[in-house]
Parts: sequence; structure tokens; C-alpha cells
Amino acid sequence: MKIDRRSFLSLGLGVAAGSVLSPLPWKLTDDLSIWTQTWPWTPVPKDGAVDYVHSVSTLCSGGCGIQVRKVDDRAIKIEGMEGYPGSDGKACNQCLAGIQKLYGKDHIQTPLKRIGNRGESRFAPISWDEAMSMVTDQLKRLRTEGKPQSLGCIVEREYGTVPQLVKRFAKAYGSPNFMTMPSYLDGYEQIFKIMHGREAIPGFDLENADFILSFGSGLVEGWGLVPRMFQANSLWKEKGVPVVQFEPRLSNTAAKATQWIPINPGTEAILALGLAHVIITENLFHDDFVNRYSARFEAWENGEGTKQKGFKDLVLDRYDPRYVSRVTGVPSSQIETIAREFAKAENPIALCGRGAGHTPGALYEFQAVHALNGLVGNINRKGGVWALPKPDYIAWPDPELDEAAKKGGDSPRVDGAGTEAYPAASSLTHRLPAVINDAEESPIQVLLVHGANPCYTLPDTEAVRAAFEKIPCIVSFASHMDETALMADVILPDHGHLEKYQDVPAPEGLSVPVIGLARPVVAPLYDTRHVGDTLIQLARAMGGGMADSFPWKNYEECLRKTLDQHWKTMEEKGWFSPDSNVGKWNETVETPNRNFVFIPERYGKDTEEAGISPIQVEGDSITYPLVMIPFDHIRIAAGPVGNAPFVMKTIEDTLLRDKDIFVQIHPKTAGKAGLEEGVLALLSTPKGSAKVRVHVYDGIQPGLVAVPRGLGRGSGDEFMADKGVNVNRLIGPVEDPVSGLNAAWGIRANLTIA
Amino acid sequence: MDSALIPKGVKRCSLGKFTLVIAVAGAVLLWGVYAMLLCWIKGLNQTNMNNYYGFALWIWADLAVIALGGGAFFTGFLKYIVGKDELKHIINYAVLIGFICYSSALLILAIDIGQPLRGWFIFWHANIHSMLTEVAFCLTCYFGVLTIEYVPLVLENRQLNKVPFFHNLAHNMHGIMAVFAATGAFLSFFHQGSLGGVAGVLFGRPFGYREGVFAWPWTFFLFTWSAAAYGPSFTLMCTKILEKASGKQLVKDNVVDLLAKISGWMILTYIIAKIADTIYWALVTAPSKGHTLMDFYSNNPVYGIWILVLEIVIGGIIPAIILVTPRTRRNGYLRMAAIILGVIGVCANRWVMVLQVMAVPVMPFDFWAMYYPSWQEVATTILPVAYGIILIALSYRYLPIFPQEPELNPVD
Amino acid sequence: MKKAVDHTKPKRYGMVIDLDKCTGCGACMVACFAENNIPFKKDESEKLLSITWMRVYKLSNKKKYPDTDICYLPRPCMHCEGHEGHSPCVSVCPATVTDYSTETGIVSQIYTRCFGCRYCMAACPYHARYFNWWDPIWPKGMEKMLSPDVSVRMRGVVEKCSFCYHRYQRAKDKAYVEGRPDIEEEEYQTACTQACPARAITFGDLNNPKHKVYELKQDPHAFRLLERLGTNPKVYYVSSREWVRKSGDNYLRHEEPGHIETKH
Ligand SMILES: Nc1nc2c(c(=O)[nH]1)N[C@H]1C(S)=C(S)[C@@H](COP(=O)(O)OP(=O)(O)OC[C@H]3O[C@@H](n4cnc5c(=O)[nH]c(N)nc54)[C@H](O)[C@@H]3O)O[C@H]1N2
Ligand SMILES: Nc1nc2c(c(=O)[nH]1)N[C@H]1C(S)=C(S)[C@@H](COP(=O)(O)OP(=O)(O)OC[C@H]3O[C@@H](n4cnc5c(=O)[nH]c(N)nc54)[C@H](O)[C@@H]3O)O[C@H]1N2
Ligand code: SF4
Ligand code: SF4
Ligand code: SF4
Ligand code: SF4
Ligand code: SF4
Ligand SMILES: [Mo]
Repeated sequence: MKIDRRSFLSLGLGVAAGSVLSPLPWKLTDDLSIWTQTWPWTPVPKDGAVDYVHSVSTLCSGGCGIQVRKVDDRAIKIEGMEGYPGSDGKACNQCLAGIQKLYGKDHIQTPLKRIGNRGESRFAPISWDEAMSMVTDQLKRLRTEGKPQSLGCIVEREYGTVPQLVKRFAKAYGSPNFMTMPSYLDGYEQIFKIMHGREAIPGFDLENADFILSFGSGLVEGWGLVPRMFQANSLWKEKGVPVVQFEPRLSNTAAKATQWIPINPGTEAILALGLAHVIITENLFHDDFVNRYSARFEAWENGEGTKQKGFKDLVLDRYDPRYVSRVTGVPSSQIETIAREFAKAENPIALCGRGAGHTPGALYEFQAVHALNGLVGNINRKGGVWALPKPDYIAWPDPELDEAAKKGGDSPRVDGAGTEAYPAASSLTHRLPAVINDAEESPIQVLLVHGANPCYTLPDTEAVRAAFEKIPCIVSFASHMDETALMADVILPDHGHLEKYQDVPAPEGLSVPVIGLARPVVAPLYDTRHVGDTLIQLARAMGGGMADSFPWKNYEECLRKTLDQHWKTMEEKGWFSPDSNVGKWNETVETPNRNFVFIPERYGKDTEEAGISPIQVEGDSITYPLVMIPFDHIRIAAGPVGNAPFVMKTIEDTLLRDKDIFVQIHPKTAGKAGLEEGVLALLSTPKGSAKVRVHVYDGIQPGLVAVPRGLGRGSGDEFMADKGVNVNRLIGPVEDPVSGLNAAWGIRANLTIA
Repeated sequence: MDSALIPKGVKRCSLGKFTLVIAVAGAVLLWGVYAMLLCWIKGLNQTNMNNYYGFALWIWADLAVIALGGGAFFTGFLKYIVGKDELKHIINYAVLIGFICYSSALLILAIDIGQPLRGWFIFWHANIHSMLTEVAFCLTCYFGVLTIEYVPLVLENRQLNKVPFFHNLAHNMHGIMAVFAATGAFLSFFHQGSLGGVAGVLFGRPFGYREGVFAWPWTFFLFTWSAAAYGPSFTLMCTKILEKASGKQLVKDNVVDLLAKISGWMILTYIIAKIADTIYWALVTAPSKGHTLMDFYSNNPVYGIWILVLEIVIGGIIPAIILVTPRTRRNGYLRMAAIILGVIGVCANRWVMVLQVMAVPVMPFDFWAMYYPSWQEVATTILPVAYGIILIALSYRYLPIFPQEPELNPVD
Repeated sequence: MKKAVDHTKPKRYGMVIDLDKCTGCGACMVACFAENNIPFKKDESEKLLSITWMRVYKLSNKKKYPDTDICYLPRPCMHCEGHEGHSPCVSVCPATVTDYSTETGIVSQIYTRCFGCRYCMAACPYHARYFNWWDPIWPKGMEKMLSPDVSVRMRGVVEKCSFCYHRYQRAKDKAYVEGRPDIEEEEYQTACTQACPARAITFGDLNNPKHKVYELKQDPHAFRLLERLGTNPKVYYVSSREWVRKSGDNYLRHEEPGHIETKH
């Protein structure tokens, strides 16, 4: 039939009407909407059996009790463990994001060997056997060459079976070069040696203190055990405990404090002695303590029998508040009122260790501040500062030392710690790079690194890299790729922090001794091996005395035997608290006639003649009119391990914007340099220079440039890597003449428009 | 060549020239379509919108074209309800423009929402308390009405009209057009109003919030009023543009003058109401929430108080005075100037009622975020303009849009 | 479940946040991310594109050195009650996606229904609502950390703090199974409350005299954000510092905080 225009059109209309009336389009519309609600590329989390596993975090050296929510075999979320000493039910932002470290990209999955140049970060996966034999060969070579002392070992902290296994390994091998990473705790360790005459770690009974004097310590910015410090801080608010913060910058801690008192950077010790001056002149010190239990408050005779000024006269002669006010920039009226309030309090505590305590600082700073605690007699008693015995639950028989080991072990440490120059120091790791760089051939031939990340956290990153270039063989036990692992020749990956057993002793700054147990929350995801097992197997491979020194089947057996009868408690509770022998303050002072020594023998002379002049920072004031100070921010992890993606997400846009770091300067400083909020600028120091953005901030002393610590990671996932600048690249160590510790609190700098 | 399709008694440019125009507009249209597809496939990350500018260029464009398209319902209202019969000479064009504006608005909305495939939930899960629901329903219905008003026009095409069915259909539809015009007017009063309500009900946003009667904030009435006032101006503007393009007069002066006069009086009364509203808002509403007028117009990197001046004085008072004063209104240049200022004025009003509502910081510690559209947003916003040009070109060429054209431009 | 609900009187869950204690650490934000499957991108420094149900703002007294002072202010969704449940965002949503629950006082959000018009974002003066501009992507392996308790949101929809509603559901179910008509205060605590190392956040039923928040909200130093707008938020803040309390709302020059008539 012929279709004329009319029938054609009516046909068209018919089809249209028909399809609209049919269910088809409506069904399609519905399915489309349903499809948008179940897009295959939008994940639907799998459900499963819920379980909570208790453990202790090793993400940082802190050691807080955590509970991990699991669904089937997946770890979903980390929360705090109720009742755990110190952290008590809380975990900090870093741990709360810890799951992302477990499942994150930078978790190392197999042993690796370097195939590119040093630090080029080109690695090839290898078998454990190959990796182990590579390391054993190197170690055997050194010993046959008769220089076992050129083995170096770096760990983050000294305590616990894992670091002690490393130490034991070095000793049995024949090297004294077991090193820990610098921290303010080194300062406390030394003043306990020289003022208390004993090996001790600090404990602060902050919960019972009723006046807090903080010399720049970031009490809510990473100093001490974060969850514990936060809860203490809130407790102070509830009880109305005064907190006085001396700091050149309005940090979060300063903002939380009852009183923020800006101070010229680096003059904290002078200020402490100024406060002492007021306390002494006004007779506000603790008579009983000072008269009956302390030494060298009054004049005294030194070894040669010559008369020496006592602490009292030293202070009265030199640290008159008006002078102190000139140096520190703190009004003398304020010095006086604060000194009085401090001395009149029941349990006043004076604290030091700048920011999160990543660098120690000058020894006299610790001396002066601790002297304040002595003056008010608030030592080793409720609400005071405690000198706690170092954890002593590890009772292994001394390692079998063959001839080589004995000989090597007696040779001096490469970092100079414990030598004539620095008797009180046990580790001066920050000195290592200079020593290696100055030497013809590196005094360290094989370096084992566990838990530490010196290539990121040590000052003067360039020098560190240069030194590591010179070390023939670097072995890393990192579980996650970090700057130091990138420099390694072989990586023997440890399990991640939720995949292994480990004892976690002595939570930082806690006044009760605690030993926690980290346990595997999930089975190891990859072909990794517990560093303890690796060490035991290496020792066995080395044979002879070394093998005998490591008699355990594996690490878990070692741990169980070490913890012995406590193991059960720890399995159940997650921790145990050895009853410490600390009682009244004087029971733990072991100096001659059990006295607290205001001015230790060795240092008396220096201090009397020289008095205390502030540590000068590197650089001249003409080329570098400003002073750069690093600062710690609670939302930026500055330790060996960097931020997880979730924590990166919380960083304020006044600290980091895309890949640009912000430095903080006072409006005046900005005005002088013609800089404005947000502009790109060039920050240069004697150590190097970097492109930064400017954040104009009223809460900072004019003339300073504050740079956040913890950014500019050279490794890790795309969420963290290559964002901002590592401040350690721009600052170098400044050696404290007395202790050898790194006393640098800043460095001279210049900031110019880029 | 296509002369068989061209209405009797009028002259049109060569097909070649015409095709060229379509081609150019078509190119721009394709650019817009490309951007549109990007937004649909890759999502709204293709825009420069953010969590402080959830409403931006697109929503402004929507409000603006709908206001400008208001010429259709108001002219219809005047012709069919009020009985201003002269307006029959321009009503077709008004309807066409309205049709273009509303179809554009719907298209832009379809790009603007994050889940276009679920767009229909607005009807399915309708929340009657929401101004947007009211907008969605009225807008869609009124678009239907406009289509019904436009269809008979299409059927007037010489060839289509040969089909008796269409011929009769068109004829009958013309017969009952008054009914649709009335419905259209009624619907428009509502959706124009609810568009005003969109910002007016935001009691969390002191810049947009207004008191009112029952569910309707003052902006509800101001929007309807301004659409009715400025819409006809826009119709006249488009007429002028088309006259320039075609080089012919298409509508007699008395018609233009009448519509301009009505528009003028509407603008005048509207702007008085608007000023009253602004004063009450500045003196009572804002202070009750702790704000002074200048809070809303300072700390802004680009425009300060000037946007208010632009909206009320330059785009309101001035055109109103020009258009209500016979002498100035009859001066072609002044009249056109007034019409253009008016169009700018209403667009400025819609701009502030969308973007400034978003931008003004409400939390004292918050800041005034800035926004500039991405090319994808610009392209998709220009898309309707290209589409409009094409549809106008086609309609003008093939449909008897302007009844007075043959008389004004006799073909010998 | 339903039965258990009927037996209990309506609750008004809310928070009291102690700004003197808050240190601005952001642990609450992180806990919220982990609890609620919040996505993360390579760059999250553009805060106007970053999804943070909980956001910690930094306030300054804008004084010169050394009188400068700062304070942190955590901002979850305020679960505004408005006037009789007439929350700013709820009434505007054209698709009834978001709702004010008279049972809990929680403002809900059905992601599967939201079609992304963002009108609710325009309505919220606290910027508590967030749009999914991108598809949520978890790097290979990382999807293992996703919690099955909270549905992952697809691109193109708006999301916000839910007061960890699924924790309420969990507590309810538990109570029901154990045949208890109602849940205890500690049984339903939000993830951010649980996480805050400073114990700055207190969560509970504002109607219930036995809950801590009941007392705390009556602190003479307690205030709410933008009360004058009539949003009637259920999140209270406490600060001993006058300038902080004054930063909580807009005031004309002569006005003093605390002496202002508000609608609710
Ligand atoms: N990303 C994401 N995923 C989700 C959810 C989410 O919110 N987001 N929600 C989860 C929830 S709560 C649910 S309930 C599920 C829903 O997801 P499903 O359980 O998969 O249900 P639908 O996808 O709604 O429909 C399934 C299929 O059934 C078809 N269907 C419809 N009616 C009938 C019928 O009468 N008979 C038959 N045989 N088939 C029919 C539909 O066309 C569709 O193809 O999705 C779950 N998955
Ligand atoms: N057109 C259309 N509509 C649908 C569906 C569909 O397929 N098509 N699916 C229907 C189906 S089967 C379901 S189950 C629902 C899914 O809608 P819902 O199940 O109501 O919403 P979901 O997207 O599944 O998110 C539920 C989760 O959202 C979180 N949430 C966040 N805030 C709140 C809050 O304040 N209240 C509540 N209740 N939850 C909150 C909770 O963690 C909860 O587990 O949608 C229904 N609606
Ligand atoms: S301090 Fe923070 S990161 Fe370290 S263990 Fe404790 S919670 Fe984890
Ligand atoms: S976790 Fe607590 S202290 Fe930290 S920012 Fe949030 S509310 Fe403040
Ligand atoms: S805070 Fe915003 S999102 Fe939350 S209830 Fe109030 S208005 Fe709605
Ligand atoms: S974006 Fe979603 S929730 Fe918000 S108003 Fe639109 S539909 Fe409702
Ligand atoms: S209540 Fe839950 S959802 Fe809301 S901010 Fe806190 S953790 Fe996030
Ligand atoms: Mo469902």
C-alpha cells in the first residue's frame, strides 16, 4: 500500500503515543536511577563478624593502649584502650589514622635490593635467603678484615627487647656503635646522671602538679605521650591549675596556657636562673630539701680543694631580674610574680624540651630548669618530677664475646658518646654525619637501621645524605618506605605496627613504670619478617659467639622468656606495671651522701667562670637578618613516620597549600621584606634555601621565621610525599660544649620575595 | 530553494547566507554540548563550583533567563486577560522567546544537578515545603503550556498547514489559546515567585532572607513582579535585534511603544517596592540578626556597594523614568538604552540573589570566598544562546511570527 | 525495634564542646573520617573542596603581638531544630532526602535519594554540608578499611555529619535484643566524642536530666553558633573567654553577647 504523508504522520504519532503509554520508558528511568545508586565503581563495604583486638601502638615511640575494630579479617578502625596507663581510652590523631598505614601503598611487601644509585630509589624484590646472605657476607667481611667496630646500628629508642636485641647484636659482633636518635630525653638522661648521680628516665606527675612552668615545651603539640598530655591539660583546666608558657611564638600550647609569656628564643636557661634569683632572695625555696638533702647550694670545695661558688651566689651574682629581663625580653615584674607563684605552689613543676622535644637543647637549660624543681623540693614525690629507674625487666645473660668482639667493643664510639669529651652522653647520633664526612674512609662500614629515619629527622639533611653515600653497606629494617630505606642497599622489611608482637616499655614521661604488649591485630599482609627474627637468624648465620648469644628459636620465644611470669598478665590486660623501687625523693639520689647536686663537679668551673651565655645559632646577622625557628604542629607528624592520608587532610591551609609550605612571620617582618599573606618567598639559611609561602601571623615575635616540622617527605604515598619542605634541610646541629648534645634552637635566615 | 517553506508575502535572505548563520551558531552550540557531556560523564568537578558556591553561574543563568522569559506570560496576560489587542502583533515572538528561555532553563538545571538520572526524584519524593519543588512543578507545567502555545505557530508553516489535520488543530488551538494564556499566567506568577522564594526562605542566610506573608517571603512577590516588568523589555530588545539582523521593521511603533510603556510602569512600581524592601531589610531584618547593611557589601574583593547601585539605580530607577516619560520613551535610542539597562538591572538582581547569598560569610570567623566559572560552565551557559539564535532564525524564516511584517515590508 | 522506640520518650541528642579544653588537634576529624568512610584525595588543602563532616575552625582575637590569642572550634553538623523541627536544610530539600527526626533530634540524609541540587548547602549557614564533586576512590588495598556500618556515598550527592547515626541504631538493636526499652547514655556516643583526647566533647540527650550535657549546656559561658538566625542548633560551646563567645554570633557595635533576644 502506498503511504501518503498523512498516514505516515499519524503512524509516527501512534508510535510516539504507544511508547509513552507502554511501561518501557518508566522501567528504564527507574533502572537508571537504581543504577546510579549502585554504581559498580562505588565500593560497597563487605559486612562480617565484628571483633575488637587490644594492642599497644608502636606507630610512634609513645606506646598508647589501642583497640582495633575488625570486620572478619579486615582492620577497620583504631580507637583508644580504656584503662591503659597514660593514654587511658584515648589515641591521638596519628594513631586514629593508623589503619591507613597498614593498608597504605608505602608498606614494604618483600625484601628489596638496590639496583639504581644510592637514594635513586630503584629497588628489585629479592628472596629472603638472598637478602640474608647478602647481609651476612658483608658482616663476615668486616670481621675478617678485623674491624667489627665499624658496624653501626641506629634505633629510635633504647628500651624494649627489639632495640636491646640490636644492641646485643652490635656487642656480640664487636661494635660499641649502637646509637639512638636524639630527643629532649637525652638532656634529662644527662642531668639525672650529673645532678642525681644515677641512670634514670624522667617521669612527670602532671596529674597531681598544681603549677606548670613550661620553657617552650609543646605540652599539647607532641611533647610526651600525646593522649596523656591532652588529658592532663584538660584536668588542669578543671582544677584551675595555672600553666605558664614561655615561648617566642603563640603555639597551641601557649594559646591553651593560662598565661603566654613571649621570650627571646634560646634564653630559657637565663630566665630559669632569673626566677631562681627571686626565689632565693625572697627565701621562697624549700628549706628542708635545700638544707638537708642538696649539695653545692652554698659554696663548696672542688677536687683540688679550691673554693667554688655555690648555686646560690652564682645566681645572686649574675641573674638579677633586671639583667635577665634585658636578655630574655620578659618584664622583671613578671619574672618576680611568676617566681613567687611558682615557689608558693604545693607541687610546682618546671618542664623543658622545646616543642615536641625532637631536639635536646643545651644541657645548662635542663640544669637550670631542673634546679627550679630542686629549689621547691618537688622531686620524686607526688605531683613532682621523678627520676625513674630505666626499665630493667630484660635479664639476658651477657653475650659471648670472642677476641674480635672484645677488641672491637673496647674501641671508642664513632659519635664520641661516653668518651672523655662527653662522659655523660650515651648517644650523640647527630654528630655521626660530620665524623663520617670528615673521615677519609667512613668509620662505619655497615649500618643497620631500625625504627629510625635519620635521613629525614637528623639536622642538616644534605650532610646526612652525603655521609650515608660514603657508607659501603646500609641495611634497613623499615616496614614502610622512608627516606633512610631509600638510601639502603638492602631492605629486610619488618612487619607493620598492627602485624606483630612487641614489648613497649616506659611510655614517655609517665611517672609510673609500664610495659605494654603490642600484638598482631591482623596476620602479616606481605612477605615481611619480624626484625627480632631477622636478627636472631643473622646471628645464627654468623655462627660462633654470636650464634650462642642468640639462643632463642625465634623472637616470640625470646619475648615470652624475657617477660616470663608477666606474659600471661600482658596477654590478658595488654600491659603490666612493675613495682618500681622509687619512693621518697632522696631514696633515688645516689650522688655522694645521697644529695641533689645543684652544681655538678665537672660543670661547676665552666658555669662559674663563663656564666651562662645563650647558645649562638649558626649564621651572620648581615646576610641573614632573620632567625628561623622550627615549630611542631600536632597535625603534622615530624618523627620517623609521616602523616597518614587522613591526617594530611586535617592540615590547615595556612600550613600547607597544594605543595607549598607556609612559614609564619610577624606583620612587621613581612612589611620590612615587602611580603604579603600567601606570596611565594625564598627562605635561605647557611644550610640551604627553599621556596615557601608566607603566612602573616600576629602571634610571633618580629624578626623570627617559624617553619613547621614534618613536611617535605621524600618518600611515602602520593598523599604525603613531596609536599612542603623538610625543615631539617635548612638547619644544622649546634654542639653544646658541655654535653655534646645538639643545642640548636634555630638558625639565622633570610626571607625574600621569590 | 527552500522558498516553498517560507511564508507568503515576506522576503528572506538567501539559503546560503542563512546556512552560514546557522553554521556559526551551530559551532558554538556544539562547543556547549561538548562541555555538557563532560559535566555529565565526569561529574561536576568539571566546574569551579565548590562547597561555598553550591549555586553559581548556572543557577544565576536559570533565574535570569526565566525572568527575561517572563515577557511571554505577561504579554499573554495583557493580550488575553486584560485585552490589549495590539499586542497580538508581538505575542508570537514573546511566546517563542519564552519557549527558548524556559527550555534553556530546564536544560541547564539538568546539567547543574549532581545526579541527573535521579532528577525525577524531585517529583517522586516531592517535598511540598520546598520552594524548589514548587519551582520544578510550575516550571515544567508552564513549559508544557509554552509548547502548546508554540505548536500552533509551527503548524502555521506553509507546508504543514496544507495538512488539514494540522490546519484544523492549529485553528482550534488558537481558539482556546486564552485558556492556556490564563493557565500560563497563573503558573508563572507562582514559579517566578517561588524562584524568589528560593533565596528568601533561607533564614540561615541573612543576605537572602526576607519576612513575608504565610509561606511566601517578600522576594516571592518581587520576583514575579520584576519578571513581569523586565520580561517585556527583553522581548522588545530581542525584537530590535532581529529587526537589525533582518534589516526590516517587524512590529509597528505603537505596539512597541505600548509594551515599553507598560514595562516602564511595571519597572517603576517594582523598583519602589524593591527600595522599600531593601530599606526594611537594612533597618530591621539584618540588624535583628546582628548585621549592618555594609556587612554585606564590604570585604568583597570585587564589587562593593556598587552592585546595589547597579541593580536599583542604573538598572531600575533610570530605565523606569525613561520608559514612563512619553518624550524620552518615544526617542528610539533612549528607549533602547532604557530597555538594555533594565535587562542588565534584572540580571544583576538575580546575580546577587544567587551568588552573593552564597558568598557573604555568615559565621563571624568565616571568609568571603571568591568564585569564577570554569570554561565548561561558560560554554554550557552560552549553549542556550546559540540554541536560541538557531530556533529564532528557523522560526523567523519559516513561520509567520510577525503578522505586521508583510504590511510593513511589502514585496513587490 | 519499632516497639522499643515507641516506649521511649523523644530525645534531643546534642553536644557540648569545651573550647577551653579543645587543643585543635583534629583527632575528632580523623575519627570521623575513619568511622564514616569519608573519602580522601591526593590534595586536600583546598578546603572548599574537602569533605570534612567535622571541621575544626581556627579563631583569632585579631589583636596585635603579644596580645594575640587563638582558639579552635570543632564544627560538626549542628542538627538544627529550627522552629519545631524546621531546620534550615530540611525544609528546603525538594526530594525529602533529609529529615528532622522527632525521635532523636537527628537530621538525617538518604544518599541514595539525593539528586545533588545543593539547595540544602545554600541553606546551611555552618557549611556543614558537603557535595561529592568526585567519585570516591580508595587506592588499591585501602578499600579494606571501609566500614560496613555506613554506606559509601556516590559522586553527585550531598553528605554531612550524622551524629554517627549507625551507632544509635547499633545501641538500639542491642537494647532491643536484651529486652531493654531504652539505651544508656554511654551506649550511644559519637566517634568524635569517643576519640577526643582532651575530652572536650560531651554527647548525650539534651532532654535527659541524667545526661551530662543537660547540666553542661546551662553553663553561664555556654553559647551556640549563630543562635540569632533562629537555626536553634543542638551543639553548644563553652568558653571562659569573652572574645571567643562573641565570635559565635554576629553583633552590632553596641550589643553584648548573652543579652540578645533570640527566637528560640
Ligand atoms: N552504593 C550503594 N550500594 C547499595 C546501597 C547504597 O545506598 N549505596 N544500598 C543498599 C541497599 S539498602 C539495598 S536495599 C540494595 C538495593 O539494591 P538491590 O538489592 O540490587 O535492589 P535494586 O538495585 O533496587 O533492584 C535490583 C534489581 O531488581 C529489579 N527489579 C525491580 N522490581 C523487580 C521485581 O518485581 N522482580 C524482579 N525479579 N526484579 C525486580 C531492578 O530492576 C534491579 O535490576 O542496594 C544496596 N547497595
Ligand atoms: N528511588 C529509590 N529510592 C530508594 C531506593 C531505591 O532503590 N530507589 N532504595 C530504598 C532502599 S532499599 C533503602 S534501604 C533506602 C536507602 O536509604 P537509607 O538506607 O536510608 O540511606 P543510605 O544511603 O542507605 O544510608 C543509610 C546510612 O546512612 C547513614 N546516615 C547518615 N546520616 C543518617 C541519618 O541521620 N539518619 C539515617 N537514617 N541514616 C543516616 C547511616 O549510617 C545509615 O547506615 O533508600 C530507599 N530509597
Ligand atoms: S602518641 Fe599518638 S601515635 Fe604515638 S602511640 Fe600514642 S596515640 Fe599512637
Ligand atoms: S579532638 Fe578534641 S581537642 Fe582535638 S580538635 Fe577535636 S575537639 Fe579539639
Ligand atoms: S547544621 Fe546545616 S546541615 Fe546541619 S542541620 Fe543545621 S542547617 Fe542542616
Ligand atoms: S542536594 Fe540532595 S539533600 Fe540537598 S537539597 Fe538537593 S536533593 Fe536534597
Ligand atoms: S558525630 Fe559522628 S558523624 Fe558527626 S562529626 Fe562526629 S564523628 Fe563525624
Ligand atoms: Mo534497602
